[in-house]
Amino acid sequence: MTSRALSALATVRAVALGYAPRVLQARGWVLCALAVLPVAFSFVGLMIGRQFGSFDSRLALHLFHGVLAALVLPIMVLVAAPGGIREDMEQRTLPLILVRPVPVWSLPFAKGLIWFAWGGCWLAAAGLGLVLLGADPGSAARQALALVLAFWAELAFMSLLVLVFKRGTLWGALVLFGWESILRVLPATLQRFTFLHHIESISGSRGGMVADWEILAQEQIASPVLVSVLALLLFGAACWALCGWKLQVTPVGLAGRDAEG
Amino acid sequence: MISLQRASLRYGDILGLSPTSFDLGPGGGITGLLGPNGAGKSSLIQLLCGLLPPSGGEVRVFGEAPYRNPLVLARLGLVPEGDRFPGGMRGDRWLRMMGQLSGLQGRALDLALQRALAITGMESRAGQPFTSMSKGMRQRVRLAQALLHEPRLLILDEPFNGLDPEARLQLMDLLRMLAEGGVRIIVSSHILGEVAQLTDRILLLFRGRLLAEGSVPEIRELLDRHPVELRVTAESAAAVARWAVEQDELVALRMEDGGAVLAVRNPRTFLPRLQEAVVEGRLPLAGLDPLDLNLDAVFQFLTKDNQ
Repeated sequence: MTSRALSALATVRAVALGYAPRVLQARGWVLCALAVLPVAFSFVGLMIGRQFGSFDSRLALHLFHGVLAALVLPIMVLVAAPGGIREDMEQRTLPLILVRPVPVWSLPFAKGLIWFAWGGCWLAAAGLGLVLLGADPGSAARQALALVLAFWAELAFMSLLVLVFKRGTLWGALVLFGWESILRVLPATLQRFTFLHHIESISGSRGGMVADWEILAQEQIASPVLVSVLALLLFGAACWALCGWKLQVTPVGLAGRDAEG
Repeated sequence: MISLQRASLRYGDILGLSPTSFDLGPGGGITGLLGPNGAGKSSLIQLLCGLLPPSGGEVRVFGEAPYRNPLVLARLGLVPEGDRFPGGMRGDRWLRMMGQLSGLQGRALDLALQRALAITGMESRAGQPFTSMSKGMRQRVRLAQALLHEPRLLILDEPFNGLDPEARLQLMDLLRMLAEGGVRIIVSSHILGEVAQLTDRILLLFRGRLLAEGSVPEIRELLDRHPVELRVTAESAAAVARWAVEQDELVALRMEDGGAVLAVRNPRTFLPRLQEAVVEGRLPLAGLDPLDLNLDAVFQFLTKDNQ
């Protein structure tokens, strides 16, 4: 018989390893496909296009900003976040963990870590795969780093939303597809409060230049790479911490989220 | 080992458990937590195993407040009601994680897994995914996860639900064996017969209140002694009154439009006679309503006990 509390590190390790096989199921393969298929299809298309003599050297850049950063990344976050601690609440398996001598605040991060690791690996592969489409290795490495760090921050943010709000996924979708999409018309200060701004700063390239007809467009600013890296890392860490705090202060009964009589 | 002092639990405006006090001493043994659905059994269990903090009063398990308290949780095992497994996982892997979360590792974890699987008879079948396990097998895995860390207090919420008779008997034997080994076991059920087979000590809950505490015969006697009120609706109130005054159990009678309210003792003998009179046409019964909570409980008992 044991009568000691488990450390946070041991809890994270046990939960992450215990749930690791989950990434090899449908949700995990959807994440993999979302990250890899755009690059793979583009590569195949490029190979076919080369045969006919047409080649667009800006394809990699367009794919990174227009597809991976703006579309694939938010969708991956929307797919991965409900597989975190929220899943245990919905499947009512969380009480079985809560009756163990574990630090409760570490559970959201422990559960989210496997999805971050899995999705991050595929995003890194997709970013580095841009080399196949004509991107230079240095740019591709920065783009891969930007994708992984943004995934870290966005996944933590979304995990917090689904933990705090019943319709957290909806609010998350509004932020990732609504707020982020108006980046170009945001004043300089507010641009720093978008993930895309930091992705662009880290990758060293922009999703597109402001055209003359875009009368609402604001001046585009850039942050130093290190600042953006730190911003994403710290924002993600803060969100995971808030997830832990939220679960720590929320009594969770046998019914999972809502206690039952 | 367990002490509740006016402990209560509210879910917003809903009272899950009224202020309740009782004590369970140290040592092994089985205590039945009895009551119909919605009686407050799960509320009490959630307080005892530290899932929810009491809304009022005090709960002590092993001398400590159990809510999120590792010192208590390390010595406690919970087998909750219903199928609760992470989809797509294998039983043995999940059990290993649960063992690690209980502080076990290395050789101790391997031994604990072997022991828990042997006790529950799942040694050769734990490697299956939960989705391919039968309900009985999943119940055994649920029990195994609670036994991994050799808890001194084991709480089972409706463990017999959905089990076939053979599996029920096996589970009862297993619980008796654990209790003899010094484990304090609390088993909740809404079926008196089940609990009575396991233990003589019962906590009777109804609508969020602890109605009685004692042995099965004591509780039956208590319920029989307590006069309960029945509203008997019939075409002729006079016919009801005529029949009722001949019954030994009648304590009081109040005439109403379309029937009468009878206060009776010992409903366990009164109700079958009432049923007989209706069947034989001596009592033109149109409806029967219990007027106090205890009678509801009596009905639950009588119904379930005779199954």
